[in-house]
Amino acid sequence: MIVDAHVRLGRGREVSLTADRLIATMDTLGVHMALVAPDERCIAYDNRAGNELVAAAAAAAPGRLIPYAVANPWRGKAAVDELKRARDGGARALNVDSVLQGFDLLDGLLDPLLDFAAGEGWPVYVRTGTPPNALPMPLASLARRRPETPFVMGRSGATDFWIDAAPALRYAPNLYGDTCYAPWDTVLNELGGDPEIGPSRLVFSTDAPYTVPGAELRRVLDWPIGGEARRDVLGGTMARLLGAAHT
Amino acid sequence: MIDFHTHAPAWNDAGWLGGARFGAEEFIAFMDSTGIEQALVLSHDGLFNATPKANDDLAAFVAHHPDRLAGFGTVHPRDAGAAAEVDRMLGTLKLRGLKLHPWLQGFSMHERALDPVCDVLAQRGGILLSHDGTPPYSTAGQIAALARRHPSLPVVLGHGGLHDTWRESLALTVETPNLYLCICGTPPYAAREILAKAPSHKVLFGTDAGLSDRTSQDYAVARVAEIDGWGITDRQRQAMLVDNPRALLGAAR
Repeated sequence: MIVDAHVRLGRGREVSLTADRLIATMDTLGVHMALVAPDERCIAYDNRAGNELVAAAAAAAPGRLIPYAVANPWRGKAAVDELKRARDGGARALNVDSVLQGFDLLDGLLDPLLDFAAGEGWPVYVRTGTPPNALPMPLASLARRRPETPFVMGRSGATDFWIDAAPALRYAPNLYGDTCYAPWDTVLNELGGDPEIGPSRLVFSTDAPYTVPGAELRRVLDWPIGGEARRDVLGGTMARLLGAAHT
Repeated sequence: MIDFHTHAPAWNDAGWLGGARFGAEEFIAFMDSTGIEQALVLSHDGLFNATPKANDDLAAFVAHHPDRLAGFGTVHPRDAGAAAEVDRMLGTLKLRGLKLHPWLQGFSMHERALDPVCDVLAQRGGILLSHDGTPPYSTAGQIAALARRHPSLPVVLGHGGLHDTWRESLALTVETPNLYLCICGTPPYAAREILAKAPSHKVLFGTDAGLSDRTSQDYAVARVAEIDGWGITDRQRQAMLVDNPRALLGAAR
């Protein structure tokens, strides 16, 4: 089973993706399931519209699309209320973008949302790679404060903060790397070959619509690793992280 | 096609940016495998330890196939002999340009020590290619400020702003006459936008080959193949891969 751990639905600044187009791409590539977050505007500002968009898309494609919940932590209690609404609409994971949402990963603003995610058994996806407030090392520190919650290090620091990906994964055992953009013959080899990390700590994502999804999958298929490890990367690990969520 | 951004191997393991060692013949084999006729080979060891020997080694590497490989050496601009070394690079060593990596090498593009270096480079008909896309030392605005101080020097943004500053790199390429942009490690959606909005003669492409664990440079081959999925026109592709780099190299001679 192939699970795409991260795509964004809707219209971004330069990109757009509809649920129909996503499903068609998944069918072409043999991707069984995708975790879907809403577009940039809805992550930053109109969280309600974004959560409703991905909930509706998931409802129309049962078993294929799994909604992330988004809420800007500056909204305080209202953000947690929004997560409850999203959960009731089918969300099974929290999606965080500290650049779009304008906060520091270690400033405490996210704590109420992480408390909620922990209560639901949700994994938490955090996009990384953008200095100064979306970087692998502070995310690792955040993850260590919450050992019960699995964190996905979205984009694994791509590109220049790939140098921090391995140290971050070693520092926080509940942190998982993301394959998108990462060449297998440089970055993935380093992470997968590290005895403290290994391929099972990595999850496949296409990061559509910012990428060429087929190229993202091709890279993981070309990576010369064992069959069991590849199954973990392509979906087994992400399915286990989702399996912990309360249903 | 012309690959405007590749690297020599790390002969001296000077830093963390590793990869397999390879010879010139193996690099040519990689180029042939993916349809690259000519590659600009940028310094590797020199980015971690900018010695004349690093430039000598690079010159020896590209000299194996001068019709296929062109070298860009490096200096540290604060070295007292930096301008003289650039003169030697472009003269005796027959390199074609200067590679700078401000965040890796640890200097600001606003430092005046760069001016005599760029003066010599411009007089010699060379090209400056700088890493970009990474704050705090490698943003397009900083690099464009240097380009404005040296208007006769072609200056190339080596990574098109990568993921985080590509909009800035695009904007500065539009507004700075002697600034060019190499799509290299830039995400596909940004590449598509850059090609749609930048002056059509100013966009180049590079694979960043040379850093792979394998001599076959698999990620670089994949990056060339990925262009098919970008959704760009044949005309844009021809300009980016062939016409623009050929014109820039020809004009800089």
